[in-house]
Amino acid sequence: MRYVAIETATGATSIALGDGREMVAAAARTDRRGHVGFLVPALDFCFAQAGWRPQEIDVVAVDVGPGLFAGIRAGLATAQALAGAAGVPLAPVCSLDAVAFRAATGHRRIWAVVDARRREVAVAPYRPVPGGVVRDGPVELVGINGFRGLLEDDPSQKLVVGDWAALPEGELTGIHGVRTGGPRHPTASAVMEVARGLAERGAFPHPDEVRPFYLRDPDVTINWSDFRQEGPWPG
Amino acid sequence: MSDPIVLGVETSCDETGVAVVRGDEVLSNVLSSQVEAHARFGGVVPEVAARAHVEAIRALTHRALARAGVHPMDLDAVAATRGPGLAGALMVGFSYGKTLAWAMSKPFLGIDHMEGHLFAPRLEGPGYRPPAVVLLASGGHSQIVHMPDWGVYEVMGSTIDDAAGEAFDKLARFLGMGFPGGPAIDRASEKGDPQAVRFPRALADRPFDLSFSGLKTAVTTFVRTHHRAGTLPPISDLAASLQEAIVDALVEKTLNAVEATGATTLGGGGGVLANRRLRARLSEEAERRGLSLHLPSPVLCLDNGAMVACAGVFRYRRGERTPWEAEVDSSLRLGS
Ligand SMILES: [Zn+2]
Repeated sequence: MRYVAIETATGATSIALGDGREMVAAAARTDRRGHVGFLVPALDFCFAQAGWRPQEIDVVAVDVGPGLFAGIRAGLATAQALAGAAGVPLAPVCSLDAVAFRAATGHRRIWAVVDARRREVAVAPYRPVPGGVVRDGPVELVGINGFRGLLEDDPSQKLVVGDWAALPEGELTGIHGVRTGGPRHPTASAVMEVARGLAERGAFPHPDEVRPFYLRDPDVTINWSDFRQEGPWPG
Repeated sequence: MSDPIVLGVETSCDETGVAVVRGDEVLSNVLSSQVEAHARFGGVVPEVAARAHVEAIRALTHRALARAGVHPMDLDAVAATRGPGLAGALMVGFSYGKTLAWAMSKPFLGIDHMEGHLFAPRLEGPGYRPPAVVLLASGGHSQIVHMPDWGVYEVMGSTIDDAAGEAFDKLARFLGMGFPGGPAIDRASEKGDPQAVRFPRALADRPFDLSFSGLKTAVTTFVRTHHRAGTLPPISDLAASLQEAIVDALVEKTLNAVEATGATTLGGGGGVLANRRLRARLSEEAERRGLSLHLPSPVLCLDNGAMVACAGVFRYRRGERTPWEAEVDSSLRLGS
Protein backbone atom coordinates (compact mmCIF):
# COMPACT_ATOMS: atom_id res chain seq x y z
CA MET A 1 0.00 0.00 0.00
CA ARG A 2 1.21 3.45 -0.90
CA TYR A 3 0.20 6.17 1.56
CA VAL A 4 0.33 9.91 1.16
CA ALA A 5 -0.14 11.75 4.47
CA ILE A 6 -0.91 15.45 4.81
CA GLU A 7 -0.51 17.32 8.09
CA THR A 8 -1.58 20.99 8.34
CA ALA A 9 -3.46 21.24 11.63
CA THR A 10 -0.78 23.13 13.54
CA GLY A 11 2.07 25.50 12.77
CA ALA A 12 4.17 22.48 11.78
CA THR A 13 3.17 21.40 8.29
CA SER A 14 4.37 18.17 6.75
CA ILE A 15 3.88 15.68 3.95
CA ALA A 16 4.94 12.04 4.09
CA LEU A 17 4.94 9.23 1.56
CA GLY A 18 5.32 5.67 2.76
CA ASP A 19 3.97 2.16 3.08
CA GLY A 20 2.03 2.82 6.28
CA ARG A 21 5.02 2.11 8.51
CA GLU A 22 8.17 3.40 6.88
CA MET A 23 8.50 6.75 5.15
CA VAL A 24 10.04 6.86 1.71
CA ALA A 25 9.90 10.65 1.37
CA ALA A 26 8.93 13.59 3.55
CA ALA A 27 8.87 17.37 3.61
CA ALA A 28 8.18 19.67 6.54
CA ARG A 29 8.18 23.29 7.55
CA THR A 30 7.16 25.39 10.55
CA ASP A 31 4.89 28.34 9.98
CA ARG A 32 1.33 29.10 10.96
CA ARG A 33 0.65 30.55 7.54
CA GLY A 34 1.42 29.66 3.97
CA HIS A 35 -0.03 26.15 3.89
CA VAL A 36 -1.48 26.79 0.44
CA GLY A 37 1.89 27.65 -1.05
CA PHE A 38 3.73 24.81 0.63
CA LEU A 39 1.57 21.78 -0.05
CA VAL A 40 1.83 21.21 -3.81
CA PRO A 41 5.57 21.96 -4.05
CA ALA A 42 6.05 19.57 -1.10
CA LEU A 43 4.00 16.86 -2.83
CA ASP A 44 5.95 17.46 -6.03
CA PHE A 45 9.24 17.11 -4.17
CA CYS A 46 8.17 13.99 -2.25
CA PHE A 47 6.80 12.19 -5.29
CA ALA A 48 10.02 12.93 -7.18
CA GLN A 49 12.07 11.63 -4.24
CA ALA A 50 10.00 8.47 -3.98
CA GLY A 51 9.80 7.96 -7.73
CA TRP A 52 6.01 7.63 -7.46
CA ARG A 53 3.30 8.97 -9.70
CA PRO A 54 0.04 10.32 -8.23
CA GLN A 55 -1.96 7.59 -10.00
CA GLU A 56 0.00 4.88 -8.20
CA ILE A 57 -1.06 5.70 -4.64
CA ASP A 58 -3.59 3.72 -2.56
CA VAL A 59 -4.66 6.02 0.29
CA VAL A 60 -4.55 9.71 1.13
CA ALA A 61 -4.44 10.28 4.89
CA VAL A 62 -5.18 13.74 6.20
CA ASP A 63 -5.26 15.43 9.59
CA VAL A 64 -8.76 16.90 9.94
CA GLY A 65 -8.14 18.64 13.25
CA PRO A 66 -8.70 19.99 15.78
CA GLY A 67 -6.23 22.79 15.14
CA LEU A 68 -5.82 25.77 12.82
CA PHE A 69 -8.99 26.08 10.75
CA ALA A 70 -7.40 27.57 7.65
CA GLY A 71 -4.59 25.01 7.67
CA ILE A 72 -6.98 22.11 8.13
CA ARG A 73 -9.12 23.25 5.22
CA ALA A 74 -6.14 23.77 2.94
CA GLY A 75 -4.90 20.29 3.83
CA LEU A 76 -8.29 18.69 3.38
CA ALA A 77 -8.96 20.42 0.04
CA THR A 78 -5.55 19.22 -1.14
CA ALA A 79 -6.23 15.68 0.09
CA GLN A 80 -9.67 15.64 -1.56
CA ALA A 81 -8.21 16.68 -4.91
CA LEU A 82 -5.34 14.20 -4.74
CA ALA A 83 -7.56 11.31 -3.65
CA GLY A 84 -10.11 12.23 -6.32
CA ALA A 85 -7.52 12.41 -9.09
CA ALA A 86 -6.04 9.07 -8.05
CA GLY A 87 -9.43 7.46 -7.37
CA VAL A 88 -8.41 6.31 -3.87
CA PRO A 89 -9.99 6.64 -0.42
CA LEU A 90 -9.44 9.45 2.06
CA ALA A 91 -8.45 8.51 5.60
CA PRO A 92 -9.29 11.23 8.15
CA VAL A 93 -7.04 11.36 11.20
CA CYS A 94 -7.58 13.35 14.40
CA SER A 95 -4.63 15.63 15.22
CA LEU A 96 -4.64 14.52 18.88
CA ASP A 97 -4.48 10.85 17.83
CA ALA A 98 -1.43 11.62 15.73
CA VAL A 99 0.24 13.46 18.63
CA ALA A 100 -0.50 10.69 21.15
CA PHE A 101 0.61 7.98 18.73
CA ARG A 102 4.17 9.24 18.86
CA ALA A 103 4.28 9.73 22.64
CA ALA A 104 7.02 7.58 24.12
CA THR A 105 5.67 6.17 27.35
CA GLY A 106 5.58 2.81 29.02
CA HIS A 107 2.68 3.08 31.39
CA ARG A 108 1.62 6.71 31.88
CA ARG A 109 -1.77 7.89 30.71
CA ILE A 110 -1.21 10.28 27.82
CA TRP A 111 -2.89 13.66 27.52
CA ALA A 112 -2.47 15.05 24.02
CA VAL A 113 -2.75 18.82 23.53
CA VAL A 114 -3.23 20.88 20.37
CA ASP A 115 -3.37 24.67 20.53
CA ALA A 116 -6.82 25.92 19.53
CA ARG A 117 -5.88 29.61 20.02
CA ARG A 118 -7.89 32.19 21.96
CA ARG A 119 -6.60 30.74 25.22
CA GLU A 120 -8.13 27.36 24.55
CA VAL A 121 -6.62 23.96 23.88
CA ALA A 122 -8.03 20.78 22.39
CA VAL A 123 -7.20 17.79 24.58
CA ALA A 124 -7.90 14.06 24.81
CA PRO A 125 -6.61 11.24 27.05
CA TYR A 126 -4.99 8.04 25.72
CA ARG A 127 -3.88 4.74 27.14
CA PRO A 128 -0.70 3.18 25.75
CA VAL A 129 -1.18 -0.29 24.23
CA PRO A 130 1.29 -2.51 22.34
CA GLY A 131 1.89 -0.92 18.94
CA GLY A 132 0.14 2.35 19.68
CA VAL A 133 -2.40 4.15 21.82
CA VAL A 134 -6.13 3.98 22.44
CA ARG A 135 -8.18 7.08 23.13
CA ASP A 136 -10.07 6.50 26.36
CA GLY A 137 -11.96 9.74 26.83
CA PRO A 138 -13.61 12.48 24.79
CA VAL A 139 -11.86 15.07 22.65
CA GLU A 140 -12.57 18.36 24.36
CA LEU A 141 -11.97 22.04 23.86
CA VAL A 142 -11.07 23.53 27.20
CA GLY A 143 -9.93 26.82 28.57
CA ILE A 144 -6.51 26.77 30.16
CA ASN A 145 -7.91 26.41 33.67
CA GLY A 146 -10.26 23.71 32.43
CA PHE A 147 -7.31 21.61 31.38
CA ARG A 148 -5.75 21.95 34.78
CA GLY A 149 -9.02 20.68 36.26
CA LEU A 150 -9.03 17.64 33.96
CA LEU A 151 -5.50 16.74 34.98
CA GLU A 152 -6.22 17.20 38.67
CA ASP A 153 -9.26 14.91 38.39
CA ASP A 154 -7.18 12.18 36.74
CA PRO A 155 -5.55 10.09 39.50
CA SER A 156 -3.14 8.25 37.15
CA GLN A 157 0.49 9.03 36.37
CA LYS A 158 0.22 11.37 33.38
CA LEU A 159 2.32 12.35 30.40
CA VAL A 160 1.25 15.59 28.71
CA VAL A 161 2.36 15.72 25.08
CA GLY A 162 1.76 18.09 22.19
CA ASP A 163 1.60 21.82 22.37
CA TRP A 164 1.73 22.18 26.15
CA ALA A 165 4.09 25.08 25.58
CA ALA A 166 1.01 27.03 24.45
CA LEU A 167 -0.15 26.96 28.07
CA PRO A 168 0.92 29.79 30.37
CA GLU A 169 4.12 29.08 32.23
CA GLY A 170 3.61 27.24 35.49
CA GLU A 171 0.16 26.04 34.46
CA LEU A 172 1.11 22.37 34.87
CA THR A 173 3.18 22.73 38.04
CA GLY A 174 1.92 21.35 41.31
CA ILE A 175 -0.42 18.81 39.72
CA HIS A 176 0.07 15.28 41.02
CA GLY A 177 1.91 12.87 38.73
CA VAL A 178 2.28 15.10 35.66
CA ARG A 179 5.21 14.99 33.32
CA THR A 180 5.58 16.69 29.96
CA GLY A 181 7.12 15.20 26.85
CA GLY A 182 7.18 14.95 23.06
CA PRO A 183 6.13 15.12 20.40
CA ARG A 184 5.21 18.76 20.27
CA HIS A 185 3.20 18.59 17.05
CA PRO A 186 1.39 15.99 14.98
CA THR A 187 3.48 14.86 12.00
CA ALA A 188 2.55 13.45 8.62
CA SER A 189 4.40 10.24 9.42
CA ALA A 190 2.22 9.73 12.53
CA VAL A 191 -0.87 10.58 10.48
CA MET A 192 0.17 7.87 8.03
CA GLU A 193 0.58 5.27 10.77
CA VAL A 194 -2.73 6.10 12.41
CA ALA A 195 -4.38 5.86 8.98
CA ARG A 196 -2.90 2.40 8.52
CA GLY A 197 -5.08 1.30 11.45
CA LEU A 198 -8.15 2.59 9.59
CA ALA A 199 -7.04 0.83 6.42
CA GLU A 200 -6.54 -2.48 8.22
CA ARG A 201 -10.05 -2.28 9.60
CA GLY A 202 -11.36 -1.29 6.15
CA ALA A 203 -12.91 1.69 7.87
CA PHE A 204 -12.69 4.39 5.21
CA PRO A 205 -15.62 6.80 5.27
CA HIS A 206 -17.27 8.11 2.13
CA PRO A 207 -15.17 11.10 0.99
CA ASP A 208 -18.09 13.52 1.44
CA GLU A 209 -18.20 12.52 5.10
CA VAL A 210 -14.60 13.55 5.64
CA ARG A 211 -14.96 16.98 7.21
CA PRO A 212 -12.84 19.20 9.40
CA PHE A 213 -13.04 18.53 13.11
CA TYR A 214 -13.53 22.09 14.34
CA LEU A 215 -14.79 21.66 17.92
CA ARG A 216 -15.90 25.28 17.79
CA ASP A 217 -18.84 26.99 16.10
CA PRO A 218 -18.09 29.82 13.71
CA ASP A 219 -18.03 33.21 15.38
CA VAL A 220 -20.85 35.31 14.24
CA THR A 221 -20.67 38.87 15.34
CA ILE A 222 -22.03 41.39 12.91
CA ASN A 223 -22.01 45.04 13.79
CA TRP A 224 -25.20 46.48 12.43
CA SER A 225 -25.11 49.37 14.87
CA ASP A 226 -26.78 51.83 12.53
CA PHE A 227 -29.40 49.36 11.39
CA ARG A 228 -32.30 48.00 13.30
CA GLN A 229 -33.24 44.34 13.38
CA GLU A 230 -36.72 44.89 12.00
CA GLY A 231 -38.11 47.40 9.58
CA PRO A 232 -41.02 49.67 10.28
CA TRP A 233 -43.36 47.36 8.35
CA PRO A 234 -44.61 44.09 9.79
CA GLY A 235 -43.28 40.88 8.22
CA MET B 1 -6.04 23.86 -32.80
CA SER B 2 -9.21 22.72 -31.04
CA ASP B 3 -10.64 24.79 -28.23
CA PRO B 4 -9.08 24.05 -24.84
CA ILE B 5 -11.22 22.44 -22.15
CA VAL B 6 -10.74 24.07 -18.76
CA LEU B 7 -12.18 23.32 -15.33
CA GLY B 8 -12.96 26.48 -13.35
CA VAL B 9 -13.24 26.64 -9.56
CA GLU B 10 -14.62 29.69 -7.74
CA THR B 11 -14.75 30.01 -3.93
CA SER B 12 -14.04 33.68 -3.27
CA CYS B 13 -17.18 34.48 -1.33
CA ASP B 14 -20.40 32.60 -0.57
CA GLU B 15 -21.00 30.62 -3.76
CA THR B 16 -19.08 27.44 -4.46
CA GLY B 17 -18.90 27.28 -8.25
CA VAL B 18 -17.35 24.66 -10.50
CA ALA B 19 -17.66 24.58 -14.28
CA VAL B 20 -16.23 23.04 -17.41
CA VAL B 21 -15.75 25.35 -20.40
CA ARG B 22 -14.52 24.54 -23.91
CA GLY B 23 -13.31 27.72 -25.59
CA ASP B 24 -16.23 30.09 -24.99
CA GLU B 25 -18.78 27.31 -24.60
CA VAL B 26 -20.11 26.31 -21.18
CA LEU B 27 -20.26 22.50 -20.92
CA SER B 28 -21.40 22.55 -17.30
CA ASN B 29 -21.73 25.16 -14.59
CA VAL B 30 -22.74 23.97 -11.12
CA LEU B 31 -23.21 26.14 -8.09
CA SER B 32 -23.85 25.53 -4.43
CA SER B 33 -25.23 28.68 -2.95
CA GLN B 34 -24.86 29.39 0.74
CA VAL B 35 -27.51 32.10 0.74
CA GLU B 36 -29.61 30.26 3.30
CA ALA B 37 -26.69 29.69 5.64
CA HIS B 38 -25.84 33.40 5.61
CA ALA B 39 -29.42 34.70 5.57
CA ARG B 40 -29.69 33.86 9.27
CA PHE B 41 -26.92 36.35 9.97
CA GLY B 42 -27.99 39.00 7.45
CA GLY B 43 -24.69 38.88 5.61
CA VAL B 44 -21.81 36.68 4.54
CA VAL B 45 -19.86 35.29 7.50
CA PRO B 46 -16.30 34.40 6.38
CA GLU B 47 -15.90 31.33 8.61
CA VAL B 48 -19.33 30.00 7.61
CA ALA B 49 -18.40 30.49 3.95
CA ALA B 50 -15.06 28.69 4.24
CA ARG B 51 -16.69 25.76 6.03
CA ALA B 52 -19.35 25.39 3.37
CA HIS B 53 -16.79 25.45 0.53
CA VAL B 54 -14.74 22.58 1.89
CA GLU B 55 -17.89 20.49 2.29
CA ALA B 56 -19.13 21.20 -1.24
CA ILE B 57 -16.05 21.39 -3.45
CA ARG B 58 -15.40 17.69 -4.05
CA ALA B 59 -18.95 16.66 -4.90
CA LEU B 60 -19.51 19.76 -7.05
CA THR B 61 -16.39 19.11 -9.08
CA HIS B 62 -17.42 15.54 -9.74
CA ARG B 63 -20.89 16.75 -10.77
CA ALA B 64 -19.46 19.43 -13.08
CA LEU B 65 -17.26 16.88 -14.86
CA ALA B 66 -20.10 14.35 -15.11
CA ARG B 67 -22.54 16.91 -16.51
CA ALA B 68 -19.99 18.08 -19.04
CA GLY B 69 -19.27 14.47 -20.02
CA VAL B 70 -15.58 15.25 -19.65
CA HIS B 71 -13.08 12.85 -18.12
CA PRO B 72 -10.58 14.69 -15.92
CA MET B 73 -7.73 13.49 -18.12
CA ASP B 74 -9.37 15.27 -21.08
CA LEU B 75 -8.99 18.64 -19.38
CA ASP B 76 -6.33 20.93 -20.83
CA ALA B 77 -6.00 22.97 -17.64
CA VAL B 78 -7.50 23.75 -14.26
CA ALA B 79 -8.26 27.33 -13.21
CA ALA B 80 -9.20 28.58 -9.75
CA THR B 81 -9.86 32.00 -8.26
CA ARG B 82 -6.76 33.40 -6.57
CA GLY B 83 -8.39 36.61 -5.30
CA PRO B 84 -9.78 39.04 -4.40
CA GLY B 85 -12.18 37.66 -1.81
CA LEU B 86 -12.33 36.11 1.64
CA ALA B 87 -8.92 34.53 2.35
CA GLY B 88 -10.25 31.44 4.11
CA ALA B 89 -12.78 30.84 1.35
CA LEU B 90 -10.27 31.38 -1.46
CA MET B 91 -7.84 28.89 0.07
CA VAL B 92 -10.30 26.03 -0.33
CA GLY B 93 -10.92 26.29 -4.06
CA PHE B 94 -7.38 27.41 -4.85
CA SER B 95 -5.81 24.47 -2.96
CA TYR B 96 -8.29 22.05 -4.46
CA GLY B 97 -7.82 23.26 -8.03
CA LYS B 98 -4.05 23.49 -7.78
CA THR B 99 -3.68 19.99 -6.37
CA LEU B 100 -6.07 18.55 -8.95
CA ALA B 101 -4.01 20.10 -11.73
CA TRP B 102 -0.75 18.88 -10.24
CA ALA B 103 -2.03 15.33 -9.67
CA MET B 104 -3.14 15.09 -13.31
CA SER B 105 -0.03 16.80 -14.70
CA LYS B 106 -2.12 19.64 -16.13
CA PRO B 107 -1.32 23.34 -16.20
CA PHE B 108 -2.80 25.40 -13.37
CA LEU B 109 -4.04 28.97 -13.65
CA GLY B 110 -4.80 31.20 -10.67
CA ILE B 111 -7.42 33.69 -11.85
CA ASP B 112 -8.38 37.18 -10.74
CA HIS B 113 -12.03 37.00 -9.74
CA MET B 114 -12.74 40.35 -11.40
CA GLU B 115 -11.18 39.17 -14.65
CA GLY B 116 -13.59 36.25 -14.45
CA HIS B 117 -16.52 38.68 -14.35
CA LEU B 118 -14.99 40.61 -17.25
CA PHE B 119 -14.84 37.43 -19.33
CA ALA B 120 -18.30 36.09 -18.44
CA PRO B 121 -20.14 37.92 -21.29
CA ARG B 122 -18.06 35.92 -23.79
CA LEU B 123 -19.90 32.82 -22.68
CA GLU B 124 -23.24 34.26 -23.85
CA GLY B 125 -22.39 34.50 -27.51
CA PRO B 126 -20.23 36.37 -29.99
CA GLY B 127 -19.92 40.14 -30.32
CA TYR B 128 -18.50 40.99 -26.91
CA ARG B 129 -15.07 42.37 -27.59
CA PRO B 130 -12.75 45.19 -26.58
CA PRO B 131 -12.57 48.11 -26.43
CA ALA B 132 -15.26 47.83 -23.79
CA VAL B 133 -16.44 49.46 -20.61
CA VAL B 134 -17.72 46.98 -18.05
CA LEU B 135 -19.73 47.64 -14.91
CA LEU B 136 -18.91 45.13 -12.17
CA ALA B 137 -21.23 45.36 -9.18
CA SER B 138 -21.97 42.87 -6.42
CA GLY B 139 -22.12 42.60 -2.66
CA GLY B 140 -18.32 42.55 -2.49
CA HIS B 141 -17.22 44.86 -5.28
CA SER B 142 -18.28 47.80 -7.45
CA GLN B 143 -15.97 48.90 -10.24
CA ILE B 144 -16.14 50.45 -13.65
CA VAL B 145 -13.44 48.92 -15.81
CA HIS B 146 -12.14 50.00 -19.19
CA MET B 147 -10.86 47.05 -21.19
CA PRO B 148 -8.98 48.38 -24.27
CA ASP B 149 -7.91 44.82 -25.13
CA TRP B 150 -8.32 41.34 -23.66
CA GLY B 151 -6.26 41.06 -20.53
CA VAL B 152 -5.63 44.81 -20.33
CA TYR B 153 -7.61 46.62 -17.67
CA GLU B 154 -7.94 50.13 -16.44
CA VAL B 155 -10.08 50.51 -13.33
CA MET B 156 -11.71 53.88 -14.00
CA GLY B 157 -13.92 54.07 -10.96
CA SER B 158 -14.84 52.22 -7.84
CA THR B 159 -16.89 52.71 -4.73
CA ILE B 160 -15.42 54.86 -2.01
CA ASP B 161 -17.51 53.17 0.69
CA ASP B 162 -20.06 50.35 0.31
CA ALA B 163 -20.31 48.09 -2.72
CA ALA B 164 -23.62 48.44 -4.57
CA GLY B 165 -24.82 45.02 -3.44
CA GLU B 166 -23.83 45.85 0.12
CA ALA B 167 -25.98 49.01 -0.09
CA PHE B 168 -28.91 46.89 -1.25
CA ASP B 169 -28.30 44.39 1.58
CA LYS B 170 -28.03 47.01 4.30
CA LEU B 171 -31.06 48.97 3.13
CA ALA B 172 -33.15 45.82 2.75
CA ARG B 173 -32.18 44.83 6.25
CA PHE B 174 -33.09 48.24 7.57
CA LEU B 175 -36.46 47.92 5.89
CA GLY B 176 -36.94 44.43 7.31
CA MET B 177 -36.85 42.79 3.88
CA GLY B 178 -34.31 40.02 4.46
CA PHE B 179 -31.05 38.88 2.87
CA PRO B 180 -29.86 39.08 0.16
CA GLY B 181 -31.24 42.57 -0.27
CA GLY B 182 -30.92 43.07 -4.04
CA PRO B 183 -33.53 40.49 -5.09
CA ALA B 184 -35.84 41.51 -2.22
CA ILE B 185 -35.76 45.18 -3.26
CA ASP B 186 -36.08 44.25 -6.93
CA ARG B 187 -39.28 42.30 -6.15
CA ALA B 188 -40.71 44.92 -3.81
CA SER B 189 -40.09 47.64 -6.43
CA GLU B 190 -42.23 45.94 -9.04
CA LYS B 191 -45.41 47.87 -8.30
CA GLY B 192 -43.69 50.89 -6.80
CA ASP B 193 -43.17 54.39 -8.13
CA PRO B 194 -39.45 55.09 -8.59
CA GLN B 195 -40.13 58.84 -8.50
CA ALA B 196 -42.03 58.71 -5.19
CA VAL B 197 -39.07 59.88 -3.14
CA ARG B 198 -36.06 61.69 -4.54
CA PHE B 199 -33.00 60.27 -2.79
CA PRO B 200 -29.48 61.69 -3.33
CA ARG B 201 -27.57 60.40 -6.34
CA ALA B 202 -23.99 60.29 -7.42
CA LEU B 203 -20.84 62.08 -6.34
CA ALA B 204 -20.82 65.19 -8.47
CA ASP B 205 -17.08 65.87 -8.39
CA ARG B 206 -15.85 62.37 -9.23
CA PRO B 207 -17.07 61.28 -12.65
CA PHE B 208 -16.45 57.55 -12.34
CA ASP B 209 -16.49 56.80 -8.60
CA LEU B 210 -19.45 55.53 -6.62
CA SER B 211 -20.61 56.14 -3.08
CA PHE B 212 -23.63 54.81 -1.26
CA SER B 213 -23.19 56.03 2.30
CA GLY B 214 -25.10 59.26 1.62
CA LEU B 215 -28.01 57.28 0.25
CA LYS B 216 -27.95 54.99 3.26
CA THR B 217 -28.18 57.96 5.62
CA ALA B 218 -30.87 59.64 3.52
CA VAL B 219 -33.06 56.52 3.51
CA THR B 220 -32.72 55.82 7.22
CA THR B 221 -33.38 59.46 8.11
CA PHE B 222 -36.35 59.60 5.77
CA VAL B 223 -37.88 56.41 7.14
CA ARG B 224 -37.39 57.36 10.77
CA THR B 225 -38.85 60.84 10.30
CA HIS B 226 -41.88 59.68 8.34
CA HIS B 227 -42.45 56.66 10.51
CA ARG B 228 -42.72 58.93 13.53
CA ALA B 229 -45.03 61.32 11.67
CA GLY B 230 -47.13 58.43 10.35
CA THR B 231 -46.54 59.56 6.77
CA LEU B 232 -44.49 56.65 5.49
CA PRO B 233 -45.12 55.90 1.82
CA PRO B 234 -45.86 52.29 0.77
CA ILE B 235 -42.79 50.06 0.92
CA SER B 236 -43.06 49.40 -2.82
CA ASP B 237 -42.59 53.13 -3.52
CA LEU B 238 -39.73 53.38 -1.07
CA ALA B 239 -38.00 50.31 -2.50
CA ALA B 240 -38.47 51.52 -6.07
CA SER B 241 -37.13 54.96 -5.16
CA LEU B 242 -34.00 53.79 -3.45
CA GLN B 243 -33.40 51.23 -6.18
CA GLU B 244 -33.71 54.05 -8.70
CA ALA B 245 -31.08 56.05 -6.83
CA ILE B 246 -28.61 53.15 -6.88
CA VAL B 247 -29.35 52.31 -10.51
CA ASP B 248 -29.06 55.97 -11.56
CA ALA B 249 -25.64 56.25 -9.94
CA LEU B 250 -24.39 53.04 -11.56
CA VAL B 251 -25.72 53.95 -15.00
CA GLU B 252 -24.49 57.55 -14.91
CA LYS B 253 -20.94 56.67 -13.90
CA THR B 254 -20.76 53.83 -16.40
CA LEU B 255 -21.91 56.10 -19.23
CA ASN B 256 -19.37 58.72 -18.17
CA ALA B 257 -16.71 56.05 -18.64
CA VAL B 258 -18.10 55.07 -22.03
CA GLU B 259 -17.94 58.70 -23.15
CA ALA B 260 -14.46 59.26 -21.80
CA THR B 261 -13.02 56.19 -23.50
CA GLY B 262 -15.06 56.10 -26.70
CA ALA B 263 -15.72 52.40 -26.10
CA THR B 264 -18.46 50.92 -28.29
CA THR B 265 -19.06 47.81 -26.21
CA LEU B 266 -20.73 47.85 -22.82
CA GLY B 267 -20.63 44.85 -20.49
CA GLY B 268 -21.63 43.95 -16.98
CA GLY B 269 -21.04 41.41 -14.26
CA GLY B 270 -21.65 40.70 -10.58
CA GLY B 271 -24.84 39.89 -8.72
CA VAL B 272 -26.23 43.45 -8.90
CA LEU B 273 -26.33 43.11 -12.70
CA ALA B 274 -29.18 40.65 -12.19
CA ASN B 275 -31.31 43.62 -11.03
CA ARG B 276 -34.09 44.04 -13.58
CA ARG B 277 -34.30 47.82 -13.36
CA LEU B 278 -30.54 48.16 -13.89
CA ARG B 279 -30.65 45.83 -16.89
CA ALA B 280 -33.57 47.73 -18.40
CA ARG B 281 -31.88 51.09 -17.93
CA LEU B 282 -28.59 49.89 -19.38
CA SER B 283 -30.29 48.47 -22.45
CA GLU B 284 -32.25 51.70 -23.00
CA GLU B 285 -29.06 53.74 -22.82
CA ALA B 286 -27.11 51.30 -24.99
CA GLU B 287 -29.78 51.45 -27.64
CA ARG B 288 -29.92 55.25 -27.55
CA ARG B 289 -26.14 55.48 -27.93
CA GLY B 290 -25.66 52.61 -30.35
CA LEU B 291 -23.56 50.59 -27.97
CA SER B 292 -23.20 46.84 -28.23
CA LEU B 293 -24.54 45.69 -24.84
CA HIS B 294 -23.51 42.40 -23.21
CA LEU B 295 -25.11 41.54 -19.88
CA PRO B 296 -24.73 37.88 -18.95
CA SER B 297 -27.80 35.98 -17.83
CA PRO B 298 -28.22 36.14 -14.05
CA VAL B 299 -26.50 32.78 -13.44
CA LEU B 300 -23.35 34.05 -15.15
CA CYS B 301 -23.57 37.43 -13.40
CA LEU B 302 -23.29 35.77 -10.01
CA ASP B 303 -19.95 34.37 -8.90
CA ASN B 304 -19.54 31.12 -10.84
CA GLY B 305 -16.96 28.65 -12.05
CA ALA B 306 -17.63 29.22 -15.75
CA MET B 307 -16.29 32.77 -15.71
CA VAL B 308 -13.13 31.53 -13.98
CA ALA B 309 -12.74 28.77 -16.56
CA CYS B 310 -13.31 31.28 -19.38
CA ALA B 311 -10.54 33.56 -18.12
CA GLY B 312 -8.51 30.37 -17.66
CA VAL B 313 -8.94 29.49 -21.35
CA PHE B 314 -7.58 32.93 -22.25
CA ARG B 315 -4.57 32.62 -19.95
CA TYR B 316 -3.93 29.03 -21.01
CA ARG B 317 -3.91 30.04 -24.69
CA ARG B 318 -1.35 32.70 -23.90
CA GLY B 319 0.88 30.00 -22.47
CA GLU B 320 0.66 31.28 -18.91
CA ARG B 321 1.07 28.96 -15.92
CA THR B 322 0.69 29.71 -12.23
CA PRO B 323 3.55 28.23 -10.20
CA TRP B 324 2.81 25.48 -7.68
CA GLU B 325 4.02 27.61 -4.79
CA ALA B 326 1.42 30.34 -5.46
CA GLU B 327 -0.70 31.59 -2.57
CA VAL B 328 -4.13 33.18 -2.63
CA ASP B 329 -4.27 36.98 -2.58
CA SER B 330 -7.39 38.23 -0.83
CA SER B 331 -6.72 41.84 -1.87
CA LEU B 332 -5.62 41.14 -5.45
CA ARG B 333 -6.09 44.17 -7.69
CA LEU B 334 -7.11 43.91 -11.29
CA GLY B 335 -4.19 44.06 -13.67
CA SER B 336 -1.53 43.57 -11.00
ZN1 LIG C 1 -17.98 38.58 -7.89
